[in-house]
Amino acid sequence: MEELELLKRDWKKKEGELPRLSYTEIYQMILKKSTSIVKWIFYISIIEFVFWTTLNIITSDSGSWEQMRSIHTYYFMIGLTVLSYVVLVYFIYKFYTNYKRISFTDSSKRLMKTILDTKRTVTQYVWFNLSIFMVSLLGMMYGTLRYGTDGERIQQAALQTGHETLFWIIVCFLCLISTAVFLGLLWLFYRLLYGILLKKLRQNYNELGKMEV
Amino acid sequence: MNKELENSFVTELENNQNIVHKVCRLYTNDQESHNDLFQEIAIQLWKAYPKFRREAKFTTWMYRVALNTAITQYRKTKRKVPTQDYQSVIYKIKADEYDGQEEQRIQLLYKAVKQLGDIDKALIFLYLEDKDYGEIASTLGISEVNARVKMNRIKNKLRTIINP
Repeated sequence: MEELELLKRDWKKKEGELPRLSYTEIYQMILKKSTSIVKWIFYISIIEFVFWTTLNIITSDSGSWEQMRSIHTYYFMIGLTVLSYVVLVYFIYKFYTNYKRISFTDSSKRLMKTILDTKRTVTQYVWFNLSIFMVSLLGMMYGTLRYGTDGERIQQAALQTGHETLFWIIVCFLCLISTAVFLGLLWLFYRLLYGILLKKLRQNYNELGKMEV
Repeated sequence: MNKELENSFVTELENNQNIVHKVCRLYTNDQESHNDLFQEIAIQLWKAYPKFRREAKFTTWMYRVALNTAITQYRKTKRKVPTQDYQSVIYKIKADEYDGQEEQRIQLLYKAVKQLGDIDKALIFLYLEDKDYGEIASTLGISEVNARVKMNRIKNKLRTIINP
């Protein structure tokens, strides 16, 4: 087919028009692996946000809010929920800006800084989630013990034992233990979820560091 | 050690970057996607580089990785390829038949090649790069007979696109 020969000739002729990248440009390209990692951190934070919100909506019917009202934690929980949503939206925004920033970074120094920022944001995010979880759990426990129907029974039981102080110490201790267990599980979940991504970021950071020397 | 590896890789890629640019030119339609694909191929090459054992020539290996990456990317964005393009090409071909100037025929051929499927593009690409059927076959991981058969089909396909 003579057409293909024609094309082949032209193909070779056009070789000179191809763009040419410098050594540094190519170097930076292969070190830009972080971009996709930071992108995933952003996506996962959104998925997580949607997941917790849906879980919240599914599990909280009017009954559960009524119950909270009865144990006097209604306003406390409302406040906490609003606060957590505001802060979570802020975090998602931060992840987004990190992602945008890393996509348009061309020097390895700036890239390193963005990686550090991203790592810090993730750490803050995880600690914030853990704290909110802890505060709400402790608040609910306190409300239940003090005003809930189960709480009344426990109070009666405490009077019956005769060792009231000791009894309350044990109850508090059990509450703290169960909170710690829940927190530990959540912490483990975050370690798995973000730990892998952060490890990769750290590796990339080290590679960039070597390049700077 | 790692630094040496990086250094030799970037140097080799820099020297042979034309291959990657040509693959990008064939598989993308604008500068931005050209750059994206180039970066993607560079990253894939770099990832595979430590396993590259020098049994093949660096360029042969590059052809393989670059084409594989392009084909994978192409499949991801396949739905985005507009269908009306084909119609406009056909229309243009009819109009151009009246003045068979060489440049126009070449443009037409490029457009026709862009209409081909991802694998066919890879074959045509290697053909344009002056590879023999043996090399085409080994780069794409198919048999030589298969490469010949496919190439003939592509020639027919191009013929029908150009002379509908």
